[in-house]
Amino acid sequence: MGNNRYMQNAVTGWMVPHGEHSDIVMSTRIRLARNLREFRFPIAFSDEQAEEVGRIVSEALLSTDEKGYSYTRMKELATLDRQALVEKHLISLQLAEAEQFGAVFLSEDETISIMVNEEDHLRIQCIYPGLQLENAYQKADETDRALEKKLPYAFDEEFGYLTSCPSNTGTGMRASVMLHLPALTITRQINRIIPAVSRLGMVVRGSYGEGSEAPGNVYQVSNQLTLGKSEKEILAELANIVSRLIAHERRSRELLLEKSRIALENRVFRALGTISYARLLPAAEAARCLSDVRLGIDLELIEDVDMTILNELMIFMQSGFLQHYEGEALTSEELDISRAKLFRERLRKS
Amino acid sequence: MLCENCKERQASVILMQDTPNGSNERNLCEKCAFNLQTFSISPNQEPMSIQQFLSQWLSGSETLHQQTREVQTMPECPECGLTFHRFLEIGKFGCPTCYETFRERLPKVFGKLHNGNTIHKGKIPASFNEKMTIKKKIEELRSSMQEAIQEEQFEHAAVLRDEIKDWKQKLAAETEEEGGSENGE
Repeated sequence: MGNNRYMQNAVTGWMVPHGEHSDIVMSTRIRLARNLREFRFPIAFSDEQAEEVGRIVSEALLSTDEKGYSYTRMKELATLDRQALVEKHLISLQLAEAEQFGAVFLSEDETISIMVNEEDHLRIQCIYPGLQLENAYQKADETDRALEKKLPYAFDEEFGYLTSCPSNTGTGMRASVMLHLPALTITRQINRIIPAVSRLGMVVRGSYGEGSEAPGNVYQVSNQLTLGKSEKEILAELANIVSRLIAHERRSRELLLEKSRIALENRVFRALGTISYARLLPAAEAARCLSDVRLGIDLELIEDVDMTILNELMIFMQSGFLQHYEGEALTSEELDISRAKLFRERLRKS
Repeated sequence: MLCENCKERQASVILMQDTPNGSNERNLCEKCAFNLQTFSISPNQEPMSIQQFLSQWLSGSETLHQQTREVQTMPECPECGLTFHRFLEIGKFGCPTCYETFRERLPKVFGKLHNGNTIHKGKIPASFNEKMTIKKKIEELRSSMQEAIQEEQFEHAAVLRDEIKDWKQKLAAETEEEGGSENGE
């Protein structure tokens, strides 16, 4: 399992700080749900149909001009490796659990992943660093157009792209932006912002989309509606909300610096101390400290830590990657020890 | 937790059944929940999942009597066997044909989920786009032809009728071409 290229590096395309507002916006993701007309959806298809869908999609993808995709079936991967792919945001949890017939095509730079037999036959995902809604959509759209020439999509004049879940019907598009919002969280403004944003047809969640908890103050904002609006309109509305969130976060950061500089410095440097010297580092504490240190770098309070290392640690600190790194299954205390060791090694001043 | 039925996939649905010996609870994956004939399902995932959303809507305004009558007359998808009632319970379609089968009832469902929106306004695949353009053209020509007839311009109407015929042939050719390429695969 060690020779899979996506397991060797924690840092993938979307994690190298790049793009607009990359101090606040960590990544932009577009996901398109598509299905083949002649087949039942994965929730109801037979084993033969599942195999057939996998075969047809592979053939279609290989015959497009899009080159350099690697193809991986879920059943060929160990559970820990699947978990690591989820932690890297390259596949969804649901695909990782689709052991029998799930598969993924990954582009060389890992910005495009095409998931096969997840909830829908196809999930085309494009993930870019920073705020790049238009670029990411363009890339996903390009891939979709190339596939559409080869695959008979399930499409309806009235309802648009037909998907297994009615919440995706229409464009089949979910656009999401991952934001680091420590100042809005520290000042508790986020609690008022989340319900306001949801009234505008958008959803705010923790970074992995599981409930509203946001480990490391990382939030994901995405569109809720897929019907009745064009892709362009949805992207424009999301961009509008995101830019307001960014402006709000920046203002709160300035206020924090102005009103409580010492308290902020104290918090940021304590966090740096913790992750540089701790011997036991639970995941929640690690996420909280990473957020504080990141804020410290953004505000130029901390100058000698590289942001790319933080991005790498954010992925590596998760249990799937740690166990892969150590080469064995770990208990929860062993995980905390291994995490602390990893942080010390990566942050050691050279 | 693994699904109690297939013991392969993660369980994501709690299935509750009332039996003469009391209430019986089973943890199933979505796929098994879909395939088993059941009575009532409540998902255990998020605070407000789509399944809950839809089943609450079904049990919401209508009385039990009305509901029972509704359920009996509800259509069943000829392709995958999903009934509309079951669709509301699990919150997922079984196949593309379900959309056709439940078409008349869907605007109400989509309206609830998509803020009152029920019609797709986004991207159209190129192949459909051609067909839709032709269909629109035919509609336009038809109404012009009706107007011409009303105004007793019969020669003009005849010209339009021939044009419509041409477009219809093109549409048939488009549709056939698609069927042909599918068989070829």
